[in-house]
Amino acid sequence: MESAVGNGIDQAVLNYTAAARRVQDLLQQVLTQVAGYSLMLMTCDRPAARPEGSILLACQAAERAHDALRALHVPSKAAHHHHHLCKAAEATRWAFAAAETCAAADASEGDRDTLTRALWAATEHLRATARLLPGFEMVDFGQACCAVHAQAAIAARAE
Amino acid sequence: MSDYSIWVLEYATVEKFPFSVMMYGPQHQGTRKLPYAYALLKGKGETILIDTGYDHVNFGKTLADAYGVSNYHGPREVLAECGVAPEDVTTVLVTHAHFDHMGAIEHFPNAKFYLQKRELDKWVWALTLGNEYRFLVGGGDPADIVKAVDAAKEGRMILVDGDREDVLPGIDVHLAEDTHTYGSMYVTIRNDGARDSADKWIFAGDLIYTYDNLTGLDPEEPQIVPIGLAVGSQHNLIFSSARMLDSVGGEARRVIPVHEDRLHKAFPSRLTDAGLQVVEIALADGETSRVG
Repeated sequence: MESAVGNGIDQAVLNYTAAARRVQDLLQQVLTQVAGYSLMLMTCDRPAARPEGSILLACQAAERAHDALRALHVPSKAAHHHHHLCKAAEATRWAFAAAETCAAADASEGDRDTLTRALWAATEHLRATARLLPGFEMVDFGQACCAVHAQAAIAARAE
Repeated sequence: MSDYSIWVLEYATVEKFPFSVMMYGPQHQGTRKLPYAYALLKGKGETILIDTGYDHVNFGKTLADAYGVSNYHGPREVLAECGVAPEDVTTVLVTHAHFDHMGAIEHFPNAKFYLQKRELDKWVWALTLGNEYRFLVGGGDPADIVKAVDAAKEGRMILVDGDREDVLPGIDVHLAEDTHTYGSMYVTIRNDGARDSADKWIFAGDLIYTYDNLTGLDPEEPQIVPIGLAVGSQHNLIFSSARMLDSVGGEARRVIPVHEDRLHKAFPSRLTDAGLQVVEIALADGETSRVG
């Protein structure tokens, strides 16, 4: 997979990265929410336990991501990245639809297969964006317990 | 007579971890080694893991380069030190949803997973708050939830709502809400099977990082000092630590912090060829020692 970093990052790519990072954050948020909702659907017997409020907000976030994606100015070096971001957004919408189908009492094994395929498609496209440009990691290590020592680790290596 | 053999298996290491994160308060007091580890239990026909480790394929390089995580070894190699393959694992008790505890679900295709429902509910809720609240969801990987959906589709993911006794014979799980994470869980093994057990071991997840969280640093004036990283509160961390301590009659060594580097001195242990510690907490009847 070609990395934009390997070709040198110009200002247009930097501008794209700054804007696309916000879209990626939204898509990751939405993916987690729809996956969480899906997990509830598959593990909870009581409909009242399902996070309908959260999923409604997630739907709205997905729409915002979709709008933001269309507004991005995409330099040619970032086209591959943008392709995966678009595919991730598309798969996330697909996952929402599949989750709604699975919420029905008569949901089938095939419906659940469709849902997991959509979730994995979104995951893999987001992972691809992380490989193509720096700053698109799927885990916020900056707030993780392993990560608060990043400066110490960097300093230790410099010693 | 022990029902379960219990080992703590190191799978990676951070050589220099700031002490002020392991323990709230001591700023500018240097670093300690922080092993990454999970626990393996064998007995009663079950092979059980407490936590899974992380997904090295996707994060290994980032963690190594930016955060100094070194000497990672996958579960097949690590578990083999105790004669176990990932496919043998029947149950995984996930203490919380951070990437380094829940990030390798896919390696255990025959296991049932237990996770606190609150951990998931509140993570999904916190995501609705907006990017400026991202501290509340740091360390979580969306892909781990997708993996959990896969397991759920196969009937292998169980969301636990609060405390539950005997999830497996002699093993209880407990919710420690709004502590290190929203739905952290600790695990009690009553290793003689008795309800009022005289042989309890508690796996604390990240409710504590070191025994010092339970004792403080001054032996003359013991105190509970919480870890430095809480989504919930230090108050809740202190009282969950007190509950764990009380449950084992105040015997701190029975509350196991898997990130504690001194475990290998507190219990029989062995350094593997890969430079990882195998710590033997208990040995069931008929089981061969893996550290002898």
